[in-house]
Amino acid sequence: MINRKKIVAMLLAGGQGSRLAPLTNSTAKPVVPFGGRYRIIDFPLSNCVNSGIDTVGVLTQYQPLELNDYLGIGTPWDMDLRFGGLHVLPPYQAATGSDWFKGTANAIYQNIKFIKQYDPEYVLILSGDHIYKMDYAIMLDEHIKNQADCTLAVIDVPLEEASRFGIMNTDDKGRVLEFEEKPKHPKSTQASMGVYIFSTAALIHYLEEDEADPTSQNDFGKNIIPNMLRDGKRMYTHLFKGYWRDVGTLTSYWASNMDSLGDMPELWLNDPDWKIYYRHSFNHPQYVGEHADITHSVCGEGNEIDGKIDHSVVFNNIVLEEGAEIKDSVIISGCKIKKGAKVEYAILDSGVVIDEGAVVGGPKESGQLAVIGRNVHIGAGAVVKPGESVTEDREGV
Amino acid sequence: MNMNALGFIFADSVDGALNELTEKRTLGAVPFGARYRVIDFLISNMVNAGIRNIGIATTGKYDSLMHHVRSGAPWDLDRKRSRLTFLPPYASFNGGGTYENRLEALQYHLQYLKNFSEEYVLISGCNYVANIDFEKVLEFHKESGARITALYRNSKIHRQQELTVMEYKIGEDGRILDHRNAEILDEVRPLSINAYLMKLDDLIEITERSMREGKHSFRRDLLFPMIESGEKVMGYEVPGAVLYMDDLATYLKNSLDLLNKDVRASLFHVDGFPILTNVKDSAPARYGDKAKVVNSLIADGTIIEGEVRNSIIFRGVRIGKDSVVENSVIMQESTIGDGVRLNYAVLDKNVIVQDCRMLSGYITHPFYMGVNEVI
Repeated sequence: MINRKKIVAMLLAGGQGSRLAPLTNSTAKPVVPFGGRYRIIDFPLSNCVNSGIDTVGVLTQYQPLELNDYLGIGTPWDMDLRFGGLHVLPPYQAATGSDWFKGTANAIYQNIKFIKQYDPEYVLILSGDHIYKMDYAIMLDEHIKNQADCTLAVIDVPLEEASRFGIMNTDDKGRVLEFEEKPKHPKSTQASMGVYIFSTAALIHYLEEDEADPTSQNDFGKNIIPNMLRDGKRMYTHLFKGYWRDVGTLTSYWASNMDSLGDMPELWLNDPDWKIYYRHSFNHPQYVGEHADITHSVCGEGNEIDGKIDHSVVFNNIVLEEGAEIKDSVIISGCKIKKGAKVEYAILDSGVVIDEGAVVGGPKESGQLAVIGRNVHIGAGAVVKPGESVTEDREGV
Repeated sequence: MNMNALGFIFADSVDGALNELTEKRTLGAVPFGARYRVIDFLISNMVNAGIRNIGIATTGKYDSLMHHVRSGAPWDLDRKRSRLTFLPPYASFNGGGTYENRLEALQYHLQYLKNFSEEYVLISGCNYVANIDFEKVLEFHKESGARITALYRNSKIHRQQELTVMEYKIGEDGRILDHRNAEILDEVRPLSINAYLMKLDDLIEITERSMREGKHSFRRDLLFPMIESGEKVMGYEVPGAVLYMDDLATYLKNSLDLLNKDVRASLFHVDGFPILTNVKDSAPARYGDKAKVVNSLIADGTIIEGEVRNSIIFRGVRIGKDSVVENSVIMQESTIGDGVRLNYAVLDKNVIVQDCRMLSGYITHPFYMGVNEVI
């Protein structure tokens, strides 16, 4: 079929991600750097290409400049195609008015025309805030086998955490009986991953119905899925057993980054059969100097490292001078950490400069993550305490 | 930034250098600097100067080069208005087969040269790695009013092989007065890097004439007679690091020179002059609990669990636990097992060194393992 697609993915990338502040102060959450060289959105996009899905609409809204730049026409993911490919879909003005995306369902509703261009049998709904490697083709096979109207990917979570998620209660064949958003007393441990496959006709029907309801919050979890359940539609779960993390908070973002470390990392990024594709920044290979000591870490390119790094995720173009130390931290691109400075249990956004002898954060045991915002300058000898979030330059002492 | 010149690259070594490394690939495709191929530097230099059309002449063993350079996309050379063209040999009714000299290559690809309206042409071999501002070379060329500007480096030759490195005699005004084969070891001399700038029309005309006269050699039949007859042939000294590939020992030495901060600065840290290459979408380098890395260049996609000193580690290399790699170059996708010792080794692409092997060469005589070999 060269004039239609079997499946089209719609990736919700417009959320503000305020719990990731200050990392999301000036940029959208899907484009927040991750894992030494990626952006969060590389994971769902790479999952798409690796699953054989080559047509993706990316719905943008909040602070889209960097995201749009990053996506371009989808070249890094081989999605610059004659028919299909990656398309950025911002809110727009129409003859009958203009609107921001009011909710996740409304965002898709406003782009039904985009979906119809490809006349797909199925629509995959994704979000740009999870780190995972998943073959959507397996889920689609199940969806087809079940003759489902909607299939929801779920992951088994510990019972004590279940009340943080949307929980699916199913029969023994995986058919959804009940959906509870953040239940106080969860009846199951199957948490929705925010990954849905809809049969196109059902999706469009319920989006249109939802749009006509002025009291609706236009949200998949709150409206579309409950409405479909109400009508007895065929809704199934697809149990995913691989690595999946919601990186919605600074601590979960930090922890997921750390999962890529070690000799047998939970988040395996070196898999030649499931590459995570990304936009390259063309730096020279990292130089590791005479006084360097790097253990239990990943480290990007263009770096000049002469200090000590332990249990950390270090991005590109980092200068780490002799005697400087990084431990249990995420250091995003372009940071400079000068002689004798110490960074421990912290996240440094891009372009941060830490002058001689400054101390950022403290032992991980404190449980308090220190965060330094983009391009912030911490003066010589200054101290940033554990748990502090610094977005303005700090004078040296 | 739009240099009105055509780029013409000779991807083969005319001088037969780097025997081991070019057994299965052409010189331009020799891996260098942990993530590059030698030709990346030259193509990047040309593109950084705004050269929009580049032809790459190559006679054989070019699959590795074609696989690497592909359509030229990493340099934005796969466009309507800028293009990279592979110029392999081809058979035709009036002969065919291949050629051995640069002038013959130009004769062979005369039709390609005639396609372009660029005023100048920059022709260069692939024997060196440098970050050259070709716009400055063009400025120099125009100001001097030279017919040909020949680029050179002030350097020593380290080892006299059968190959011929050309040495110039440069006058006070920068003019090339004489030439000879370099003979003196370990003394800094102006040595040719086989890169020349001239008018495209002039090159086409000279090439056509050389065909009529049955001449084949760029240097012997074209350059030297010009120098001798008093034509204005200027020498342009390439500033900064120029790493010239003579043989395997200089390859290792040049590679280890990248550990020198000034050399790295001169090649990689020139603002607005990036060195681009084909991308692999590798994961970042991963260091194990007992990793120890000192004074080394580490590419992406590597997994390091052992010790690395004074070495160049390419993309996708794995170094096992309790292994010690020193003064060595390990090319892409090679696997070093546990408890291995390597010193002064050049390991080509995709080799496997099994556990507990001890392999050593010397700086002047590196230990070499060929593509896909297993020890």
